[in-house]
Amino acid sequence: MTSTVTAPASALAASQPPARKRRRRRSTPLIALLLGPAAVLIIVFIVAPAVYGMYLSFTNTQLTGFAARSPKLVGFDNYAYLLTNADFLSSLGHTGEFVLYSAIIGQTVLGMVAAILLSRPWIRGKGIFGAAILMPMVVPEVVASLTWASVLSNNSSGTLNLLTSFFGAGSTDWLQVVPLASVVAVNIWRGIAFAMIMFQAALEDVPVELIEAARIDGARAIQVFRHVTLPLIRGPVFLYLLLTTISTVGAFGLVYFLTQGGPAGQTRIAAIYIYERALQFSQIGIGSAASMILLAIVLVLGLVYVRLAKVEV
Amino acid sequence: MKRSRVIGLLAASVVAAGGLSACSASSNSNSDGVVNISITEYQQTRIDAVNKLIPGFEAEMKKQGKNIKVTMVADVLTDDQFKTKITQQLIAGQAPDVLDLGDSVVPGFAGAGYLAPLDDYLNNWDGWSHYYPQIKTASARQDGHVYDLVHETGVQNLFYRKDVLTSLGISTTQPATWDDLLARMVEVKNKTGGTPIVIPAGTAWGGSTWTEGFQPILGGTDKNYYSLDTGKWDLNSSGFHAVFDLYSQLFSKGLLPVQDLQNPNPWEPTKYVGFPAGTIPVAAQGTSGWKFDWGPAGKAPIPDLNNVVDTWQYPGLRSGDTPYGWSGLGFGFGIPEKSQHKDEAMLLAEYLSAGEPLADQLVSSGAASPRDDLADVKPYADEPKLIAAGKNLASSVYVPTGDGADQIAQAVAAATELIISGTADGDQAYDAFKKDATDLLGPSLIK
Repeated sequence: MTSTVTAPASALAASQPPARKRRRRRSTPLIALLLGPAAVLIIVFIVAPAVYGMYLSFTNTQLTGFAARSPKLVGFDNYAYLLTNADFLSSLGHTGEFVLYSAIIGQTVLGMVAAILLSRPWIRGKGIFGAAILMPMVVPEVVASLTWASVLSNNSSGTLNLLTSFFGAGSTDWLQVVPLASVVAVNIWRGIAFAMIMFQAALEDVPVELIEAARIDGARAIQVFRHVTLPLIRGPVFLYLLLTTISTVGAFGLVYFLTQGGPAGQTRIAAIYIYERALQFSQIGIGSAASMILLAIVLVLGLVYVRLAKVEV
Repeated sequence: MKRSRVIGLLAASVVAAGGLSACSASSNSNSDGVVNISITEYQQTRIDAVNKLIPGFEAEMKKQGKNIKVTMVADVLTDDQFKTKITQQLIAGQAPDVLDLGDSVVPGFAGAGYLAPLDDYLNNWDGWSHYYPQIKTASARQDGHVYDLVHETGVQNLFYRKDVLTSLGISTTQPATWDDLLARMVEVKNKTGGTPIVIPAGTAWGGSTWTEGFQPILGGTDKNYYSLDTGKWDLNSSGFHAVFDLYSQLFSKGLLPVQDLQNPNPWEPTKYVGFPAGTIPVAAQGTSGWKFDWGPAGKAPIPDLNNVVDTWQYPGLRSGDTPYGWSGLGFGFGIPEKSQHKDEAMLLAEYLSAGEPLADQLVSSGAASPRDDLADVKPYADEPKLIAAGKNLASSVYVPTGDGADQIAQAVAAATELIISGTADGDQAYDAFKKDATDLLGPSLIK
């Protein structure tokens, strides 16, 4: 029988052989060298633009017109303007609906269902099923948009109109009649694969013994999921919610290609509003302020998720 | 350890080399004296037309002892997409040496200092003396300088399907007033059940809602909404309210294709489908309709175009107004202030704005000549509709504007969107426009 004595960390460090210390000192420049390029890129392309964007949000910077020659600091004027501007507030509302229906409800719930189904041993053709769900993720955004524009086309040869015509329905302009529902459906289709992958990995980590014990105790499948599985995968679920919320709030291409924010602004989510203001109408100051407001909202949502999940980020 | 260092150094070298190569500027002037310049076009017809002319320019320059090579930067885009792209390039100093710009973007670019003033070049160019005086006057921007060499122009009118209206028993004579025209359109609607007239409106049509929809009607009834002298917009000018009322009437009588107007690319189902099919028999349109839109090689060709389509001038809107055509400067060649080859770029702009090269372009894009010496130059000489449009320029209406036109366009688009979506009438749309425009323009640009 042997006994182990735990030495204090300082004592351990003091007892480290000088050769290891020298090696660590020698490797420090290498670590700096390896991290340096990434750090420089992050500072140049992420941190600096974000700081500059924040500065611009306090100015009346425009890209065209005489005002472009001499931008001035305007304090919180842009923020005050946006927070009382019906179009901007409406775009935030549309963004909230878009995130809620497509990311939080659609992608998360359907991704979870797909992950659970694929984890069942009795399911046949898992490979085909999994590939079909994964496919939207590998299709480039523009291709996906054009494909869906064809599916939702208002003429009789549009795929959805062809399908509904089998039931005697006439042609419908889906992007005009139900624009938000259409872009929500497309975003669910596109994001479900990532949700499924994350949830599949999480489900594999749930100990089988716990589930079997619950079943022996008489729990039904729903009860097992609600009281055993879900609490154990809460971390990955909230992590996914965090990631999908961030990416969906910033979604632009998919919606812009399909509707350009129309009709009548019904799909003008915040990213499209910012694009219109900053680049189409050249009002960089207002566009930057709108971006900062959106960033603040995403940060608050992120903190809420992290708090709920108690995930260390 | 040694291996790690080698990998680290290699990674750093790759990043550094990549960064340096990205920063390096490509030289556009060779040691053998060749000057390389570039020109950009974003509409396929203009790309094709100018591409054909580049060899002629290079040969002409060679004769004069100048070795200039021209590269076409072609990118087919919509007006708004092009404006977004070229704005970034102008700011970065990366724009091509010659820009073919729609008139609506020139005041904003000139105001921001992105374009070089061309006055000195033009005063030394004999071609400038052949420009119609009203074109020269309109080319002078808010600060009195000329920033683009206009090479095509046109008159905005109401194009109508003569065959369709005749078969419906609707008069095709020039309507004297909008009341007269509205009554005819209601008659068409009652007989066909369709939406008989398209005028750009709403946000989906972008800046053209202002330049091709609202402004031509406004300018015919009110010329005081902008003052070049003060550089200020008068949002209380009486014409604004009258035009919003007209849009409201068009909506409430069910005459506008509101669903199409609210879709992306609203010109496609209206101008390129409805008008050629005859289901929308009246459309606000510039001279380019004869070629670019509905000509044999246009976007949506209409067979026997010259016989089945004709034009009305805009009717009078208010008491005392008479019918008129609305002229626009169309497109002009601008040169970036940061261009390193302004002299050579101007030579190209001048070459493309005179004689046969100009005639070729005008026929391709369906535009009228801004010059008085082109009526006998082929192939323009074979285009009676374009020549007639050129003659009409003298009697047409134009109100030059300056800084703030983008913001006005934005506010008009948003306010007309309220009308066509059924959420506002003329009064409410005008109120929304005034509030929006006041916010966007700021006090320095409002009377």
